[in-house]
Amino acid sequence: MTSKRVGLESSLGIAQAVKLANVDVIAAYPITPQTHIVEGLAEMVANGELDAEYIPVESEHSAMSACLGASAVGARTFTATAGQGLILMHEVVTVASALRLPVVMAIANRALSGQLSIWGDHSDVMMARDAGWIHIFVENGQQAFDQTLCAFRIAEHKDVMLPVAVDVDGFHATHVIESFYLLDQKTVNEFLPPYVHPTPLDPDNPVTMGCFAMPNYYFETRKALDMALRNSKKVILETWEKFGALTGRHYLPVEKYKTENCDTLLVTMGSFSENAMMAVDRMQESGKKVGLVRLRLWRPFPTEELVAALSGAKNVIVLDRAISLGGPGPVCSEIKAALYPLEKKPHVVGIIGGLGGRDISPENFIALVELGLEKIKTGHTGEIIMFGVRE
Amino acid sequence: MKNDIIEIRWHGRGGQGAVTSAELTALAAIHEGKYAQAFPSFGPERRGAPVLAFNRIRTDRAVRERSGIIKPDIVVVIDPGLVSLINVTDGLKPGGTLIVNSARSVEDLQQDFSGDWKLAVVDAASIAKKLLGVNIVNTTMLGALIKATEVIDCDSLREPLEERFGARAKSNFEACKQAAENTVISEITPSGDKRPRSFAVEKLPKWNELPVGCVVTDVGNTKAFCTGNWKSQHPEWLDSKCIKCGICSIFCPEGCIKQQKDGFFRADLFYCKGCGICARECWTQAIKMVEEA
Ligand code: SF4
Ligand code: SF4
Repeated sequence: MTSKRVGLESSLGIAQAVKLANVDVIAAYPITPQTHIVEGLAEMVANGELDAEYIPVESEHSAMSACLGASAVGARTFTATAGQGLILMHEVVTVASALRLPVVMAIANRALSGQLSIWGDHSDVMMARDAGWIHIFVENGQQAFDQTLCAFRIAEHKDVMLPVAVDVDGFHATHVIESFYLLDQKTVNEFLPPYVHPTPLDPDNPVTMGCFAMPNYYFETRKALDMALRNSKKVILETWEKFGALTGRHYLPVEKYKTENCDTLLVTMGSFSENAMMAVDRMQESGKKVGLVRLRLWRPFPTEELVAALSGAKNVIVLDRAISLGGPGPVCSEIKAALYPLEKKPHVVGIIGGLGGRDISPENFIALVELGLEKIKTGHTGEIIMFGVRE
Repeated sequence: MKNDIIEIRWHGRGGQGAVTSAELTALAAIHEGKYAQAFPSFGPERRGAPVLAFNRIRTDRAVRERSGIIKPDIVVVIDPGLVSLINVTDGLKPGGTLIVNSARSVEDLQQDFSGDWKLAVVDAASIAKKLLGVNIVNTTMLGALIKATEVIDCDSLREPLEERFGARAKSNFEACKQAAENTVISEITPSGDKRPRSFAVEKLPKWNELPVGCVVTDVGNTKAFCTGNWKSQHPEWLDSKCIKCGICSIFCPEGCIKQQKDGFFRADLFYCKGCGICARECWTQAIKMVEEA
């Protein structure tokens, strides 16, 4: 059962979860702000605390390649990366999902270079959006620990067999020392059944993985992958339900915070949600009907749950911590698409903020909501609106 | 041209130059002031494997279609062996033209097809061997196309041939002209007493019939893959010259040459691709490559 509360850096909390999951193989290349996770794991392997193969590879591309091979023989596999590391890995990221290999990866969300930034935003994840992985966003260290454990159970479930990314905001989540409730090994063992690949790579029973697909096959392979990803929501919900029953910590694809009777709903994803909650508290105290909707499950995209959460509102203000250069904010455009079929749609305004590690404090969130409402009032919702940039 | 648009489908094998035939046809048509397009079947090109190439030609405006041709006006078969392997007349429009490179007689070939089509036959292989010194008939078959249809003019080929073949353009042009002279044109009747033909139809799975990760679990399933379909020549052994050294079987890239009980070697023609490596490697020249019928 749940142990007593301990203090830990979130990155090391993730490492603890990976250890409790009793992984077989870790292949990773260090990159800020992910480094502490794999450093922690390397240490555990080195000192005999964790009986796993740690492969120190020469790049993220090799890290994911090694993970694919390990997962394909039936080994429980973990890696972590961030920013440019995820981009360098990208060629093999799509292979993990296409081969349906349940690799678990922590992404310490980081901004993308040219102007080198090691700090957090969601641009790296957005570039991996269409790669066929399950993406779960977390807001703090405890959630990162919990979701890393859930990720293995979801990924390896026989009806899922898909890679899962746990998206943890760089620095704002990864580098914070906070308090955790860890789980004991027995509880984790019960929660997490062993990983069994139905047709693993095995010299005695050879198989072919990643075969060639002509135009008369490829489309079907994509539909099969897409359906697997969409259908994974069932197992995700079951897993979170079981985890909630076990720990009292409950997770949903879309989580609401004080949304009853609200005209205006703010939508956030990731570690800034807790600041947004504080802003909501203050705004409600001063009589404003502003609530918060947090998007936890990014892929498969929880259209139904989002529509249910947002359709009653008059105004929806979406914060994107990523910029789709030359296009609309990625989260906002998907929310708009989800709401479009409604007869009575809320006004939706997208705001880009928090790029490259720039803070959005609770006070800032109040100003952000005011900016959003102003844009709605004056009919400027179609604009690309940025919050906190020097103009 | 009576139709607005003329669509041609070329049937050949990887390495035989069907794509070149289509390209030269398009270039010749464009040279004549027409609008034309040539494209391959965008597949993995394997020497010997059946391949397709396509042309669209029209006089009034640019060609906009950008998809495979399934109802051609003209079908050109560059490799004679394909007639028994592939339904080359699939989708051929009534009134369309089938042009075949074959040493067989027109009467004999007529028995293979049933439809309201014109049949043009030429023994392009003999012409190419005589005039070009090789059995590559892609340019020679252009002559048959010119004779059987009016899609392009012989003279419009001169420039594209020169650009493509340089010093060898002249002999290619001669082969083309010779083929035009030798092409025999007749009609096919839609019915009558025909030779029955049947073709393998690949059964393709639905998306939900694919295994997880599309893993292939039936080990050695390439055994069922008849690479023998790819050959236009096959090896024949002259046992009196053979010293039973086994070199041919070692060099065969398909691993399909086996020693028999009597110690001599033979190829399994189900797999033999007709590459000719065995004949080339044999010390004593006991192997001869022979054209497929
Ligand atoms: S031609 Fe000879 S070497 Fe080539 S595949 Fe056939 S048997 Fe083998
Ligand atoms: S290489 Fe020639 S001589 Fe040797 S076994 Fe083969 S056919 Fe006979």
